[in-house]
Amino acid sequence: MAAQIIPCSSPSSSSSLAFPSEFNLCNPRKCCFSRWVSQVCPRIRTRNHFRIKTSNGHPLNAVSMQGGMDGNPLAKGINPEEQEDFFIDISDGEEAHSTLSITVVGASGDLAKKKIFPALFALYYEDWLPENFVIFGYARTKLTDEELRNMISRTLTCRIDKRANCEDKMEQFLKRCFYHSGEYSSEEHFAELDSKLKEKEAGKRSNRLFYLSIPPNIFVDVVRCASRKASSANGWTRVIVEKPFGRDSESSAELTRCLKKYLTEEQIFRIDHYLGKELVENLSVLRFSNLVFEPLWSRNYIRNVQFIFSEDFGTEGRGGYFDNYGIIRDIMQNHLLQILALFAMETPVSLDAEDIRNEKVKVLRSMKPLELEDVIIGQYKGHNKGGRTYPGYIDDSTVPSNSITPTFAAAALFINNARWDGVPFLMKAGKALHRKRAEIRVQFRHVPGNLYKRNFGTDLDKATNELVLRVQPDEAIYLKINNKVPGLGMRLDRSDLNLLYRARYPSEIPDAYERLLLDAIAGERRLFIRSDELDAAWSLFTPLLKELEAKKIAPELYPYGSRGPVGAHYLAAKYNVRWGDLGGDDD
Amino acid sequence: MAAFSSMHCPLSYSSSIYGGKDQSFISSASPRFSVPAKAKVFVQSPGNSHQNAVLMQDGAVATKVSLVGKETHIEKLERDLMSITSLKEWDEKAGSDINENESTVSITVVGASGDLAKKKIFPALFALYYEGCLPKHFTIYGYARSKMTDAELRNMVSKTLTCRIDKRENCGEKMDEFLKRCFYHSGQYDSEENFAQLDKKLEEHEGGRVSNRLFYLSIPPNIFINAVKCASTSASSGNGWTRVIVEKPFGRDSESSAALTKALKQYLNEDQIFRIDHYLGKELVENLSVLRFSNLIFEPLWSRRYIRNVQLIFSEDFGTEGRGGYFDHYGIIRDIMQNHLLQILALFAMETPISLDAEDIRNEKVKVLRSMRPLRLEDVVIGQYKSHTKGGVTYPGYTDDKTVPKDSLTPTFAAAALFIDNARWDGVPFLMKAGKALNNKRAEIRVQFRHVPGNLYNRKFGTDLDQATNELVIRVQPDEAIYLKINNKVPGLGMRLDRSNLNLHYAARYSKEIPDAYERLLLDAVEGERRLFIRSDELDAAWSLFTPVLAELEEKKIIPEYYPYGSRGPVGAHYLAARYNVRWGDLGVEQSV
Repeated sequence: MAAQIIPCSSPSSSSSLAFPSEFNLCNPRKCCFSRWVSQVCPRIRTRNHFRIKTSNGHPLNAVSMQGGMDGNPLAKGINPEEQEDFFIDISDGEEAHSTLSITVVGASGDLAKKKIFPALFALYYEDWLPENFVIFGYARTKLTDEELRNMISRTLTCRIDKRANCEDKMEQFLKRCFYHSGEYSSEEHFAELDSKLKEKEAGKRSNRLFYLSIPPNIFVDVVRCASRKASSANGWTRVIVEKPFGRDSESSAELTRCLKKYLTEEQIFRIDHYLGKELVENLSVLRFSNLVFEPLWSRNYIRNVQFIFSEDFGTEGRGGYFDNYGIIRDIMQNHLLQILALFAMETPVSLDAEDIRNEKVKVLRSMKPLELEDVIIGQYKGHNKGGRTYPGYIDDSTVPSNSITPTFAAAALFINNARWDGVPFLMKAGKALHRKRAEIRVQFRHVPGNLYKRNFGTDLDKATNELVLRVQPDEAIYLKINNKVPGLGMRLDRSDLNLLYRARYPSEIPDAYERLLLDAIAGERRLFIRSDELDAAWSLFTPLLKELEAKKIAPELYPYGSRGPVGAHYLAAKYNVRWGDLGGDDD
Repeated sequence: MAAFSSMHCPLSYSSSIYGGKDQSFISSASPRFSVPAKAKVFVQSPGNSHQNAVLMQDGAVATKVSLVGKETHIEKLERDLMSITSLKEWDEKAGSDINENESTVSITVVGASGDLAKKKIFPALFALYYEGCLPKHFTIYGYARSKMTDAELRNMVSKTLTCRIDKRENCGEKMDEFLKRCFYHSGQYDSEENFAQLDKKLEEHEGGRVSNRLFYLSIPPNIFINAVKCASTSASSGNGWTRVIVEKPFGRDSESSAALTKALKQYLNEDQIFRIDHYLGKELVENLSVLRFSNLIFEPLWSRRYIRNVQLIFSEDFGTEGRGGYFDHYGIIRDIMQNHLLQILALFAMETPISLDAEDIRNEKVKVLRSMRPLRLEDVVIGQYKSHTKGGVTYPGYTDDKTVPKDSLTPTFAAAALFIDNARWDGVPFLMKAGKALNNKRAEIRVQFRHVPGNLYNRKFGTDLDQATNELVIRVQPDEAIYLKINNKVPGLGMRLDRSNLNLHYAARYSKEIPDAYERLLLDAVEGERRLFIRSDELDAAWSLFTPVLAELEEKKIIPEYYPYGSRGPVGAHYLAARYNVRWGDLGVEQSV
């Protein structure tokens, strides 16, 4: 049982961890879905009890846990031998008898081509997938297996740091990819898929993962069909869904209700790919595994926190979907708010998914719903620069020419709990800005009774410490400190204590989708959004979104490629904040 | 006061006054700044001299008065700058406010033919001159027993002068100008008559202006007193200040140090004595207080609650190399620990001073020293290097040095554990380690933090949680750097943790050459800034920590643990550390980073 979720296990050794009684441990409350559920929960429980808690389900944990004892827990680089150890360590008795089928629903779409298939290949290349697996593409387009393979192969790449056997691996991978054409709402077509899957599974225990890479209006249809006709009879069945999860509290609740008609909470994997980003993952590590940060992590020392997301391009002819949602729903309510919750949560009891998500929900529920006066919205307009004309948002032919959908928003949020009372959490997200960036900035308070006050001019807040976690591009962590400029005088200056990932870790950082797919396969839910989290997130934003729409608030226009509307500065100023990314020192 | 008084050079002035830009505390080193800077130097010198003359008995008062003077001046500068003062106006102000033309500084290097003078003092003086940090009227005198002409001295001095690498223009020219101001007087160190001759020559150069005189005693300790007596009785300034810089050794123990201080005080008062500890002039030691007190993120961590231990490490990769005569009489504990490392420790551990004034800082340092337990024999490990053959080359042992007695037990290596019995540091071991002929050359401060209580990631660290704690390293030399070791997730699909550095490497961040410690200290002495010099009570407190153990070592003839030349030192240091649950940070798996 345990083995089936361990992605890279190799056939060897005995199955010390697998014992049949697990099946009976399953949550009886869900007995009506027993077929689904029973496969899901025992795994988690077993793991927690048996595997000394690997905390996030990644096999390497097991290694560092055991390997750490030898006195050098900090060994650098991945030691292949340790991985071997791990393989032996994990029982694989079940492995040979179980199989994993991944069905990408909406296989001909953009996301599938650009992200999902490449991520699956990367996992395969790195040996993270179980031995027996098949990948099925499902879409309405008529394609042969060969055509699908052809289409996929164009976007596959090998990680730059390991090019060996790339071609070989690619071919082997493509051989495992198949295609089934069908309507998204046809149970019949899904039944056909089911028979094909069964063929491939050849009587082994079957675990099935459906990745819904389709528009939201057909989510429920697909889930219904897949659940009724194509779910696994003897293994688990899980469904990954991507945003948008509704447009507001009501539509989101409705979607959840519909999904739950066919799936249990444990089967729903709501993906927020920002949570799979390396530096977002590292946020908890930084906080909880270093002594030096946690004492500072409160209103006593932190003056404000900023979550900044910017893209340097607009909708570029694909504004149709976006126009219905706007930047607040597209970026803030999910990505930025999720990061905020991770940043601000109390220390969880453990790193288990439920413990972490419990803490995140607590943060979200401690927050005040956003008010109109704490939000600035903007929309980019056309701009001429260097002889080139960049189109405005409403110049996009897929966007109504009277659209007031925000392509930029800035907001101030507050968490009314003991740790964060009064600390402004500022968010900013925008399209068609002057650069592409995602980062978290933590500005500390000024030093009380600073002996070096005179060296700082009048505004002490300009010389405070700042911790920056740059999520993309160029992953980095740096801490701005005041430092004496070398020389005979006593001039102070801000320098960075920094860690630039590129310089420290030469290997390529895996794409967020790789991690998330792997977690879904492993049943690790830490990085997926639970229904109550989603509800809490929507309830913060829904009143505001409704008011914006009801009052038809016109966005502040800003030129394509600019730094965004100046309104954002005034919003920040209202709470005594200065955006860290638009300062004099441009990083 | 300190914040300002050392900001005299064009390079350095500014921060407090020139605001306005987005980062108001950073101002560029534009030439404009040289004017106020100069103006300030000259404001100060005559002012200080009078105060010193009047208030010599009470250092604290003297500084306070001069502080007020300076502050008002700064405020004035600030006002003036706000009203966009032109360069010309500045010149006029400098000319009218300040009678710079009437004062002069004479710097006499006593022991001018010695090694230190040639390698450090003259080059530092030249660097100050080159940077425009010396007052307009100054002369430099070499004084020693050798017979030499001015030209010969200049010749000798010129060999060791260099220009800062980042500014090579006019180097030759500047050097010539500088050498023209250098003179030589030959005389005995104990002859008042010879010093009286020097006095005449100085007066000649001073040309009737207010004369300020700085004597730099670069001579063996046994003739300190004589030279001080002669200089003070026959060559001190009639109408300005007279200051004397002395270098270690300041005695061998509490008694001899007290005797030396007493003797010095017969001829000088406290304000005139500038005991130099050149480690205090090092860039990163200076920066230690800046880090602590101008950043919010460090001070909350600066106590027994978060810090597990502190390590002060000094190593040289060479031995005495034929010059062991002096060293053998003192040993590494007196040579490095009791002064350099202990001074850094005091700066590190002191409470926040009331201000950056010299007296306030030194008061706090003394408090730390007086809160410390005298060192006990069992908390000390001593070592001596022995010869070692590596790659066909034989490196000599300490006792192979001809100037060292064959049976010498003098330690060339020592490690010690010290404790500060106050509320902040109770129970935190402060480990020191200093040695010659080791495998590398290094001076650094390592702060090891406690492990995270209830760490969620405990399981990732194996059994010894203390091996994965945060560590702040301040590398004083070589390759100045500050870095903080943090636990970090190794990028990738697993959850492996790893220690990475958040770092600031000076060479990468600051392209300018970092001035030598002697430049700063000489400049401070010229300006009467005492922050980086050691007060008599500090010295007493420092000796009283080490004297008992030194006496016991000698009395019991404790035999040092031998270690091969070029090795990592005696293993005894590890056992000492282990006793206090410490692991040396510089000898870990991850060497040197």
